[in-house]
Amino acid sequence: MANTKVNKSVAEINERIRRGDAVVVTAEEMVEIVREKGEVGAAEEVDVVTTGTFGAMCSSGAWLNFGHADPPIKMQRVWLNDVEAYTGVAAVDAYIGATQLSETRGFEYGGGHVIEDLIRGKEIVVRATAYGTDCYPRKEIETVVTKDDINQAVLCNPRNAYQRYVAATNSRDETIYTYMGTLLPNYGNVTYSGSGALSPLHKDPNYETIGIGTRIFLGGAQGYIFWEGTQHAPTKAMGTIMTVGNLKEMDARYLRGATIEKYGTTLYVGLGIPIPIINERVAKTTGVSDENIKTNLTDYGIPRKDRPILREVTYAELKSGKVEIDGIEAPVSSLSSLKRAREIADILKKWIGEKQFFLSQPVERLPTDQVFKPMKQITAVPFVRDLMTRDVVTAKPSDSITSAAKIFAEKNFDHLPIIDKKGKLVGIVTSWDIAVAVGTGKKKLSEVLTTDVITATEDEPIEAVARRLDKYGISGVPVVDARGELKGILTSDDLSKLLGGRKR
Amino acid sequence: MTRKILLNYTTKTTEPILASVIKETGLLLNILYAEFGTRGGEILLAIDAPDKDVNKVIELFKRKGIEIKEIKRAIQLDRDSCFDCGACLSLCPTGALYQTEDKSVKLDEDKCIYCELCVPSCPVRALKLSKF
Repeated sequence: MANTKVNKSVAEINERIRRGDAVVVTAEEMVEIVREKGEVGAAEEVDVVTTGTFGAMCSSGAWLNFGHADPPIKMQRVWLNDVEAYTGVAAVDAYIGATQLSETRGFEYGGGHVIEDLIRGKEIVVRATAYGTDCYPRKEIETVVTKDDINQAVLCNPRNAYQRYVAATNSRDETIYTYMGTLLPNYGNVTYSGSGALSPLHKDPNYETIGIGTRIFLGGAQGYIFWEGTQHAPTKAMGTIMTVGNLKEMDARYLRGATIEKYGTTLYVGLGIPIPIINERVAKTTGVSDENIKTNLTDYGIPRKDRPILREVTYAELKSGKVEIDGIEAPVSSLSSLKRAREIADILKKWIGEKQFFLSQPVERLPTDQVFKPMKQITAVPFVRDLMTRDVVTAKPSDSITSAAKIFAEKNFDHLPIIDKKGKLVGIVTSWDIAVAVGTGKKKLSEVLTTDVITATEDEPIEAVARRLDKYGISGVPVVDARGELKGILTSDDLSKLLGGRKR
Repeated sequence: MTRKILLNYTTKTTEPILASVIKETGLLLNILYAEFGTRGGEILLAIDAPDKDVNKVIELFKRKGIEIKEIKRAIQLDRDSCFDCGACLSLCPTGALYQTEDKSVKLDEDKCIYCELCVPSCPVRALKLSKF
């Protein structure tokens, strides 16, 4: 690292906190200070910058130890309020994960809610089964506990505090329900997450001060960073951290169980990191504004790992509540709470001011060059183009019902795509439509065709189309290109080829 | 207080019913939403006027053969539970749910058309619709 004009150690800053003359500001205040005084001036003046975020962090959960029953049990499976916890460890240890669903209440209650109920001091029904051993003979147990009855309740989150996250929208002509919330059709809205200028990891993206052992605000108590988070991708400004803290000391205001509609349950985690301003480099990064924090506006309408990116947006645009897509303003929803993120940064500032919180020098730095790899797959996933029928019999809107009836009688299929002179799909007619047309004395296909057709494209994964067939209760979809020209047809008959072991 | 009435047009009519009621009463009838198909349709009106004037509006529509239903459902935002994320904001078609300068989520019930899109979108179920 290059030499810096300002050099302060964490120990010196802690000494100032102890004396009561440390200058502590929130990251939002720091943006203004750096703008006014420059990074060197800001580094000379400010000792600590506090950050905060309050958002859905699915990779969260808690380790619990229930103590031993008499006679003792080696829990093989355990449920807390009907939500299963992982117990493939020692006899009465279990990990309750935020996204695990209740076996009786589904999406309305999950591991995140169990964690919130524990913090609130509510009674939790514990049910466990076991195979029984000579030392642990008991095969089942049911009891009721609160956080005071159990030995340890430790919040232990494998992936928290994403430095930033993509913003989501939806190109499809139907509403979709994603982990980024409800996305309206035809780019009808945009959702995003993260606190931008207050985002903890975005304020020290080079990990000069944040590392293993950093003391943080976690769920209303003091917690720690103990590793880089899973999927840590610092080179793409998508760093993450693993965090740990005593659940028994936490506050449900900063740890809330939640439901994302038609997606699942999660845990909203409140987290803040105090950043010691050890030099002007750190002053500069803590002073980055929402206008300079960019993320990708991504199309969640395409259910692939690499979803198409529409364009870059700044957190300033996102926070304004409107984002322009193709010249039209789309309303924006934040999924994380900026108001509560500010509250957390303010609490950290207050704790430090009142000498209740001191900064820690990390014992190791977090990696700055790690990449996030995709899953290694050993079987190929089929796409629409691999299974669709290309040789499609079609008709024109002006064709007669009789001619269509003849086609259905001669060929063994149920869907007749209707195209215009340029080959564009204009509708579809099924054998059932023809039966109805004959019964009601209709003459032309234009009188019976369905114009609102559910379609697929060639590069879609088969799973996505199978989901669509199921959702709309249909047995086939025409395959079209971007211009709406008919390329083929995919029916449930084509899908059944998969079960027949067809190789690509 | 703003009252909301739902007009149900069951048959095709070429008469300017809504326009004539506005003209006769001189009141500002705010159309919150309207939808028409081949077999008629419906219009949701918000009227901010004294009770006796609103009653007169209802009477006039009835006389012109329009079915009237006064909407007394109420949408509630539980401020104790809400943590001001804003997940509901972009789903609200009328701006009834909005964020203040300090990023608090607020509800202006007068603007609500009871589409109910926001209710399931709330991660902590802070939005509830009660019918009475």
